[in-house]
Amino acid sequence: MASALRVSLNLESPIPAYRQIANDLRRHLVEERLKPGDLLPPIRQLALDLGVHFNTVALAYRMLADEGWLELKRRRGAAVIERNAPRAVDRRQVDHLLRQLAHIAAELRSVGMTSRQISSALRRLAQGARP
Amino acid sequence: MTSASWSMMLVVSVNVILFHAMPRFSRPDILFAVTVPEAFAAGAGRTLVARYRAIVWSGAAAALAIGLLLPAFLPGSGRGALLAMGPVAGNMIVALAAWLWAHRKARAHAVPPSDVRVASLVPRDTSLPGGTLFAVGPFAILLATALLVYTYRDGVPDGPGTITSFLALGGVYVAMTLIMAVSMARRTRQIAVDGPAAAAEQRFRSVNVLSLVLVGYGIAIQQSAMTIESIPAFGDTLSGSVGFVMLPLMLINFGIIFWMFRVGQGGQRAVAPAARREVHGDATPDDAWKVGGLFYFNPRDPAIWVENRIGPGYGLNMGNPRAWLLIAGMMLVPMIASRLLF
Repeated sequence: MASALRVSLNLESPIPAYRQIANDLRRHLVEERLKPGDLLPPIRQLALDLGVHFNTVALAYRMLADEGWLELKRRRGAAVIERNAPRAVDRRQVDHLLRQLAHIAAELRSVGMTSRQISSALRRLAQGARP
Repeated sequence: MTSASWSMMLVVSVNVILFHAMPRFSRPDILFAVTVPEAFAAGAGRTLVARYRAIVWSGAAAALAIGLLLPAFLPGSGRGALLAMGPVAGNMIVALAAWLWAHRKARAHAVPPSDVRVASLVPRDTSLPGGTLFAVGPFAILLATALLVYTYRDGVPDGPGTITSFLALGGVYVAMTLIMAVSMARRTRQIAVDGPAAAAEQRFRSVNVLSLVLVGYGIAIQQSAMTIESIPAFGDTLSGSVGFVMLPLMLINFGIIFWMFRVGQGGQRAVAPAARREVHGDATPDDAWKVGGLFYFNPRDPAIWVENRIGPGYGLNMGNPRAWLLIAGMMLVPMIASRLLF
C-alpha cells in the first residue's frame, strides 16, 4: 500500500463528513491505489485521526461495503475486496448521479465555463485526473 | 541550615528548572499553549520566552532569599514547616502567573485552526512497545513473588492487612498502569499524516507508552522487594540491592523526560522544518484548552488522550466521558481494592 494514501475532510464543506470520507476512499479504490487485500484503519482509529464521531467513519465504510468495495472486519477496520466487475448497472443510481451531474454542469456554466470546457474537464476527470 | 531549608531549596530549584524548560517541551508552532505561526515562535516569540523565564527565575530567587533569610529573623519560632512551604508556594504562584501572562500575550498571535483535516489510510501500529510479553512482565514478577510467599507460607501471616494483601494491591496498580498504556497506545490522535514527521510522532507515542510500562515494572519490583523482605527466611538479604534495579528504571525515566525536552511534543522539534510543513499545531482548537493550557475539554473530540500543552507527554480530554471513566477507574479500583484487602 502506498504511503501517501490519505483521506481529507473539509469542515466547511456542505457535503456531509461521511460522504467526503467515502468519496475520497472511492477515488482511491477506483484509481486502484487501494487494491484487494489492503487493510483500512480501524473505524475508531480513523475517526480519532479525523476528529469525528466513530459513526461518521462507520457510515462511510458501510456505504462502500454496500457498493461491494470493502469487507467490514470486526475491530480490525475494513479490507478491500475483489469487486465483481463489471457489476450490473444500477439504472436508478446512474440516473440519480447524472441528475446531480446536470446540476453541477449548470452551475459550471453559470460561473462562466463553456460546454466545450465542461466536457473536456469531464473527460479528464473520467480518465482519473485530479480537478 | 535545617533539613526543611534544604528541602525548600530542592523543591524551588526543581520547580524553576521545570518552568524554565516548559516552553521548550511543546511543538515548534505552539507557544505558551497557543498555536502560533512557527516563524513567530522562532522569532519574536523568543523575546516573550525570555521575559517569562526572567520572571520565573526572579520569583525563584526571591523565594530562596526569603526562605533562607526569614528563619534568621524569626529564630526558634517553631514555624519551620511554614517558613519552608511559604517560599515554595510563592515560587509556584509566581511561575504560574508568569505562564498565564505569557499565554495571554501569545494569544494575540494565535492562528485559527484549519478547516481541513487529513488522515492516513495506512493502519498504524498500536501495539505496546516490546510486545505483550514485555508488558505483562510486572505481573510475572508479582506472580513469582506470590509463589515464593506460598512456598514460605508458614512464616508469612495471611489474611487482610498483611503483606500478601500488599502484593495483591501491587497487582491492581500494575493493571491500572497497563490499562493506561494500552489506552494511550490506541486512543491518541496521529497528527502528521506520513513521512518523517509521522514517524517521529509514532516514536514519541511509543516512548510515552514505554515509560508507563516501566512504571509498572517499578511498582512490581518495589512491592515484591517489600514482600520478600517480610519473609523471615529472607530477612535483610535484599537490603539495598533493590536500589540497583530501581535506579536504572529511574534513570531511564529521567532520560525519557530529557529526550522529550530535546524533541518537543510529538517529537516534532527533531524533524526538519521541510518535513513537517504540512503539520500545523496539535490538531486541537486553542479554545478547548482551559486555564492557560492546563486542561483540554472538548466534548466534540473523540480522542481520550491528547498531547499536553503544558509539560511533556499526554493528558486526558476532560470533555470525553471515556476519559472520566478512566479517571474514575484509576481512583476507585485501588480504593475498593484497598478496602477489600486491608
